[in-house]
Amino acid sequence: MKYIIAKSLDGALAALQDTGTGRARVVAGATDLFLQEQPDRLIDISRLPELQEVTLEKGLLRVGAAVTHNAASASGLIWEKAAALAEASTLLGSPQIRNIGTLGGNVANAAPAADAAVALAALGAEAVLFDSPGRFYVKPFAGLYAGYNCSRVDSCREILAWFLIRPAGPGQGSAFLRFTARGALSLPLANAAARVTLEKGRLKEVSLVVAPAGPAPSRLKKTEALLLGSNLSGKTWSMAEESASAEVAVRGSALRCSVEYRRRLIGILAGRVLSLAAQRAQRNR
Amino acid sequence: MIRRNIKAGEGKEGFPGARGFYDPEVWAKVTGRARYGIDLALPGMLQGKILRSPHPHALIRNVDLSRARSLPGVRAVLSGTGLGAKPYGIVFDDENPLALDRVRYIGDEVAAVAAVDEQTALEALQMISVEYEPLSAVFDPEEALLKGAVTLHDDFPGNIAWENRINRGEAEAAFKDADLVVEDTYALPSFHPGYIEPISCIAESEKFDGLTLHTALQSPHIVREILAGVLGLSISRVRVISPVMGGGFGGRVYGNLKLYLLAAFLSRAAGAPVKMQLTREEEFTVGRPMVAAMIKMKMALKEDGTFLARQADIITDNGAYSAQAPWVSKTLSERNDSLYHIPSISTRVRLVYTNKVPTGQYRAYGNQLANFACESLIDRAAGKLGMDPLRLRLKNCIGPGDTSVHGLQIKSCALSRCLQDAADAIGWTERKKGRGYGISAAIHAGGSIVFNPDFRGASARARLELDGRVTIVTGEQDYGQGAHGAFALIAARALSRVPGEINIVSRDTILTPFSIGALGMRQTTIGGRAVQLAAEDLLARIRDCAAELAGEEVVPEGGAFRTSSGRLIEPVGIAAFYCAKTSGLALTGEGRYVPEKSDYDQSGYGNIAVTYSFAAHACEVEIDRETGALTVHRFVAVHDSGRIVNLLTARGQVYGGVAQGLGMACSEGYIFEEGRVANPTFSGYRIPTALDLPSIETLFIQTDDPEGPYGAKGLGEIVQVPTPAAVANAVANALGEPVNELPLTAEKISRLLHGWECAD
Repeated sequence: MKYIIAKSLDGALAALQDTGTGRARVVAGATDLFLQEQPDRLIDISRLPELQEVTLEKGLLRVGAAVTHNAASASGLIWEKAAALAEASTLLGSPQIRNIGTLGGNVANAAPAADAAVALAALGAEAVLFDSPGRFYVKPFAGLYAGYNCSRVDSCREILAWFLIRPAGPGQGSAFLRFTARGALSLPLANAAARVTLEKGRLKEVSLVVAPAGPAPSRLKKTEALLLGSNLSGKTWSMAEESASAEVAVRGSALRCSVEYRRRLIGILAGRVLSLAAQRAQRNR
Repeated sequence: MIRRNIKAGEGKEGFPGARGFYDPEVWAKVTGRARYGIDLALPGMLQGKILRSPHPHALIRNVDLSRARSLPGVRAVLSGTGLGAKPYGIVFDDENPLALDRVRYIGDEVAAVAAVDEQTALEALQMISVEYEPLSAVFDPEEALLKGAVTLHDDFPGNIAWENRINRGEAEAAFKDADLVVEDTYALPSFHPGYIEPISCIAESEKFDGLTLHTALQSPHIVREILAGVLGLSISRVRVISPVMGGGFGGRVYGNLKLYLLAAFLSRAAGAPVKMQLTREEEFTVGRPMVAAMIKMKMALKEDGTFLARQADIITDNGAYSAQAPWVSKTLSERNDSLYHIPSISTRVRLVYTNKVPTGQYRAYGNQLANFACESLIDRAAGKLGMDPLRLRLKNCIGPGDTSVHGLQIKSCALSRCLQDAADAIGWTERKKGRGYGISAAIHAGGSIVFNPDFRGASARARLELDGRVTIVTGEQDYGQGAHGAFALIAARALSRVPGEINIVSRDTILTPFSIGALGMRQTTIGGRAVQLAAEDLLARIRDCAAELAGEEVVPEGGAFRTSSGRLIEPVGIAAFYCAKTSGLALTGEGRYVPEKSDYDQSGYGNIAVTYSFAAHACEVEIDRETGALTVHRFVAVHDSGRIVNLLTARGQVYGGVAQGLGMACSEGYIFEEGRVANPTFSGYRIPTALDLPSIETLFIQTDDPEGPYGAKGLGEIVQVPTPAAVANAVANALGEPVNELPLTAEKISRLLHGWECAD
């Protein structure tokens, strides 16, 4: 196997095309790669400076796909404008994984309950992808999943470069929570992220995403709709809990937990994460 | 007898010289220079791999090795029928190195390959074709006991591998007369020691009669005997050399005998050294975890809290083969009875074959499994009597000078003090609202004298080196618990030296005295006592030699000797004098510690160990009443392990044991689906991480044990015994209702809290 450390985005794209279809693969962190089938050639994009940037420009938060989880969790800008993402990056995996794993890798690996991906989904992020030098396109987050552990980002052909996120403005806030069977190195039994906009003490916009529930982070649209216009009382969060629990489609396993427990857990996390996001929105004047 | 209570981290650090003293190997480990078995390689070495059964139970109709044998790079391919090996085992012979005509669990060894590299060996495995005829399988031990259940071993009808009944006193009458009877059923899954280094070995077979095996073992001398027997070799021609061990915790007393045997057979067939190494998945699926247990227990008490009797019906799940499971089941079924005064006992224990992973042993031999049942039931009784669980325990504690219901002779014992101090340290009298508190106590035997009634002790040799240092040669094993450091401190104390001047030689069966090895808390207690005696013997010989050299009387002075005329004679001079005088020999001393023979009788009544260690653990927990999540906030571990040799390593033992016990209580355990291990990785088998552990406070009540070296006794296994029950009792206290199943996952607690049932 040949391991190429890309020096530029164009160089990485050229290396992908030179190798021939399907034989080279882009990696950024590669923490899960050794559990999978190995391609002939790996092109490591994690050291490209432009993919490690976090910037606020033209009213959009642009977060590089090669930003590591630790870098995201240490970024004041991400905490201020997209707290859910910073929170997810802080809780994921273990110190070693957070040091080397990247946001782009977390999404392109397409695990059903990848923490950063759940946060990005709730934040309504969009992905910027390149398939040849200078040619890029923008995809909504929901369009990035093809199935269980299967991404629509074809890492043998294209490079996920940035995420574009609408930053939290006045009256807006986000949050992320996960529930695990162990403090570190544990896939979540359930996780949830929310982004809310408040107007006059009521919920004006709600985005609620939970996992694992199907192959991709799952947006609970019925619950979102139900909550619009609600005040920030305990009653609202109980309603959210009940509705999320009823709406979500989950699976159980002998290894992790039963369907019933996961359903309960997702409800509880939904109520809690919405409440936390709303508290942040209230503080964000 | 109790001298003082030393709080960890304050003041005294153990034996003289313990402060700032580290065994040199510790540095090698923390700086990444230690060489573990996995690091070893020999010139011309081949790699061995094993073909395993995909069926939980099947007949083998045919094994075709021909294609695998013709693959370039393959040096040896073996199946069971070609080996001609006799069945073997540890307690009884129910295994073959490779299956002959039948496989009994998913993972059972069917064929083995040695090739020039791992890739070729794996390819060769795929070229072996095996015809199976699947049989019906049984996974639940209770089902395996039913009439008509499929039988795993023809020699064991009814699938009972081993069973025992113990009756002491008048249990039946006691239950009739009791003021209170409490009972429940407790269930625990199989637990794996979870050592970080998977087991590996290199076997070098000699052409005619001989084998050198490189593998890290707790009991290399005993393994040597077993290997020689199965391989048909002379015992003295089998040499076991142990590299540094990456964790054992009882799981490497015998390690993985099958792996060693197959490496030896492959090496013999190929005429080259063969390395074999289990993968992590193999560790979990074919390694030897501890038995799962189901314990039905009943207890009779007087109104004032006096214990009258205990009755237990225990089923332990053996898996497909036995290894040490009968001994584990025996300890599990008995040990807790000697913690308190319980006049009547009636116990039945059955070890049952199932088509699952065969079991072996793990730290404390199942004592911790039964402790969960016994100590939970005591809390239940306290609740019914309206009595403080601490007071109920204190009322019934065993003490120094007592003989327990099974005949254990208790010498030093600070059990009640351990309980009281654990309660004080956790704040038993000022328990906070919204938190749960639990306490549990334990006894564990230190230094078995009945493992082999004729071989009860240990020996060691001590040698004065030409550089004046002293070398201790011992058959006991340091496998990370700090035995070498303890031996250095003990020898240094006997010789009035500093511990850094003591060399320790062990881990090679050709060089060291025979030893039973690191099991049953023998190392410091029995092995350390032999070291003390060897050092004392050497000291006397050095003194005689010093007097001869000086031509006048001498008295010891700080490791050297002062003559009556005032000259100081250093050990270097004495060593050189003796070496010249004898044309090359060194002054040596021998230490033999031979404990008194036990009065142990046919019914299992009698003293079983030279001494006993005691402990009490207490903890404070909090439960998220919505999710059921359990947080252990604080943990206190109070131990009576006699005089502490080295406080730093003693604390390390306690931290590690408590961490393992918390894993059992909260998150660990095998999960099976139709005989298949569903969690054969560390991501699914959840040992705790640093984030899962509370602050652990360690306290030592320093009794002076009359048997152990300078009053010391064992601290190896007991550290884990009371932990699961302490947590379970705290959870029960927080919930206001009993718990009877481990591990206490959030889902289980949620079910107890909200009373929901699982549909799937």
